[in-house]
Amino acid sequence: MELAVISIEDYAKYPFLKGASTQIKELDLTIQNLVEDRFVLERAQKRVECAILDLTIGQMDVDRRKEISSFAASLILVIGTKKPWIKKRYALAVAKTAYSHLLSPQTTKAKIQSIAKDFDWDISEGKEAYKDFKIGFSFYLKNAAHMHGNEWKLVNQIIDKGLVYLNKDKVARLLQEEIKNRVEKRLDVPELKNLPEDINIIAFKLNALAQDIMGQETEEMPKTVVQAAFPPCINALYAEAAAAHHLSHIGRFTLTSFLLNIGMSPEAVNEMYKTFSDYNERLTRYQIEHIAGERGSATQYKPPQCSVLQTHGVCKNRDELCRRIYHPLGYYLRKQRMQNSG
Amino acid sequence: MGLDSREYVYQRFSEFYKDPANAVPAPPLPHKREFGYLTFKEKFMVRHRRFEQIANFRTVLADTVPSDVYHSCAYYENPDFDMDKKGWIGSDVVFDIDADHIPTSCNKIHDEFRCVKCGFEGRGLTPEECPCCGGTKFETKIWACDLCIASARDEVAKLLDMLEKDFGFSQDEVRVFFSGHRGYHVHIESEVVRSLDAMARKEIVDYVTGLGVAVLEKEDREQGARRKKKLSKKFNLHNYGWNRRLKVGMQTFLENASPEDLKEVGLRNKALLESKDTIIKRAITEGKWESIQGVSVQTWLKLAEHIREVQAAKIDTVVTTDIHRLIRMNGTLHGKTGLKKVEFKPKELQTFDPFTGAVAFKKGKVKVLVSDAPEFRMSGETLGPYKNQTLELPVAAAVLLICKRRAEVVP
Repeated sequence: MELAVISIEDYAKYPFLKGASTQIKELDLTIQNLVEDRFVLERAQKRVECAILDLTIGQMDVDRRKEISSFAASLILVIGTKKPWIKKRYALAVAKTAYSHLLSPQTTKAKIQSIAKDFDWDISEGKEAYKDFKIGFSFYLKNAAHMHGNEWKLVNQIIDKGLVYLNKDKVARLLQEEIKNRVEKRLDVPELKNLPEDINIIAFKLNALAQDIMGQETEEMPKTVVQAAFPPCINALYAEAAAAHHLSHIGRFTLTSFLLNIGMSPEAVNEMYKTFSDYNERLTRYQIEHIAGERGSATQYKPPQCSVLQTHGVCKNRDELCRRIYHPLGYYLRKQRMQNSG
Repeated sequence: MGLDSREYVYQRFSEFYKDPANAVPAPPLPHKREFGYLTFKEKFMVRHRRFEQIANFRTVLADTVPSDVYHSCAYYENPDFDMDKKGWIGSDVVFDIDADHIPTSCNKIHDEFRCVKCGFEGRGLTPEECPCCGGTKFETKIWACDLCIASARDEVAKLLDMLEKDFGFSQDEVRVFFSGHRGYHVHIESEVVRSLDAMARKEIVDYVTGLGVAVLEKEDREQGARRKKKLSKKFNLHNYGWNRRLKVGMQTFLENASPEDLKEVGLRNKALLESKDTIIKRAITEGKWESIQGVSVQTWLKLAEHIREVQAAKIDTVVTTDIHRLIRMNGTLHGKTGLKKVEFKPKELQTFDPFTGAVAFKKGKVKVLVSDAPEFRMSGETLGPYKNQTLELPVAAAVLLICKRRAEVVP
């Protein structure tokens, strides 16, 4: 298949492509210039506002060059907010918008291929297995491994000689993931110093807007440990440890990180392990403090998600609620809420 | 291990690492890897070492004489820094297949365990709890017999088949090693896999073990009870990947199955045996799964689940998903056997004999007192069984028995 030429129309739809910046070079896009071009700045602000409010990027500007420039400007605004939540949210909105363009019947297979090539994918037309495309398995995994649901698992794909055969809709969804990662990466820069005052003012407004939405979304962990809301895997690990059986490394990690994340103190976790027969004070304390982020890299570790626990045989006694969650902590939150609402 | 015996083994290891003929081969991009080793006498793990030249590491091996030698599967900007400052660049994909993780037909009858608490002793698989006092800590003496190795080899064969047919790796891209104890390592060093993260590697593990094949999903099964038709439609295996593996496996199984085999799998369905040929032709070959009278969707699912277990390669899941893993270095000695980790070609899997090909000490004999050893082979010679006897053994055999705490040198 011949690769399709990316037009200026396409760059407006997919402004994160590598070639997009060449389209706007003549506009000499310094930060100062951005502030001076009111239209570009307004459109950029609109993009981020829409992303915060409903994960879209708003109406495209009819001037395609301005539209492309507004994407560049929006990145500066988002960086200016210094909020990881806004960065993630904006990247997702950009990716979702691109996804809907990709899904459109007007988007040809050749065009999709050209866009995938922009991400260096090993992709070609997939005649053999009656699918639209075939892509190298590593490109598939890079994106699909982070998606939930059985239909994305590699075991359930048509795979042959290192190539995964997929239809257009699935390739579009994988590209959404790829786009999100690229935008997130472009936003992941150290703080920009000496931003023009206008940008700081807009960033301030965007932060205020985000605060309202974020407040509605975050879920608080219950203040006390609610053992009745533990997922079955954690109960099984606890029972195993309490019965003086040996826990595997990953089992011990899962139990410890779960308990720490639901608010148990490192001391309390240590006390609990003391009652188990193979207790080793020095080692246990070290492990707990490491997982709690009090040692080494200072990251507080979360328990692995359900699919990882399945891989290593730690997932046990799955129940009804397990089918609707992806993470043991998600189970805990949900169960606890169900119990509270009676 | 007595002091004399330990000294004896140490001397053999020392000679091995000082002999230029045993120069350990360099892994790809050695300067980007972390090296580590376990010191022979203090049993201290030295880690985070970096070597620009593999020759420098060979000198370290000759000077320190470690009992076990490792390098990272990962590539780092700074392999000698602390873990969180190393700067991970990528990692080989590594599979570990060990008889420890596989049920073997020898039932590990050659392994011994002793409860640390009450001293209760037994043979075979180490129990989770001591039958005598309920203790959970055991001293073990494990052994690797031909059946252990053969079981591990069968799992490697399944893995290699998947890596070649489904993942598309050529014979040159897949490196196969005997681990030096009772298993195999399979390394993929291709750039295609280098940057895959832990989640992507988890998907590879799930593929190799067949975890989550959709036709086996519990949700589907329950839904199937209510809407049989929809499910039987879904039970339509295509000719690629795991679907093909299930199909081929089902056909082979049915062709050879006796009523007892079916019963063992939990299938009491007469139709499966009586109309074997029709089933293979109509269902498996033509894909008309729902057209077989008396064979329900549940029966297909049960059969498929059994085939999944048979076709899955039983790997150590943790090793493959760990992107910082240290792995035993090719060409170095295993401290529990005195055998080498050695590479052989994938197509030599069935013919490669570890008890010949991995032997490090080929000359000389030594007098030992063997407390207890089953029959075993070494360099083409069958030895043992021995029980409390003093005799002269080839060095490789003596080192193996000493490392396994089944013999001592007689000064």
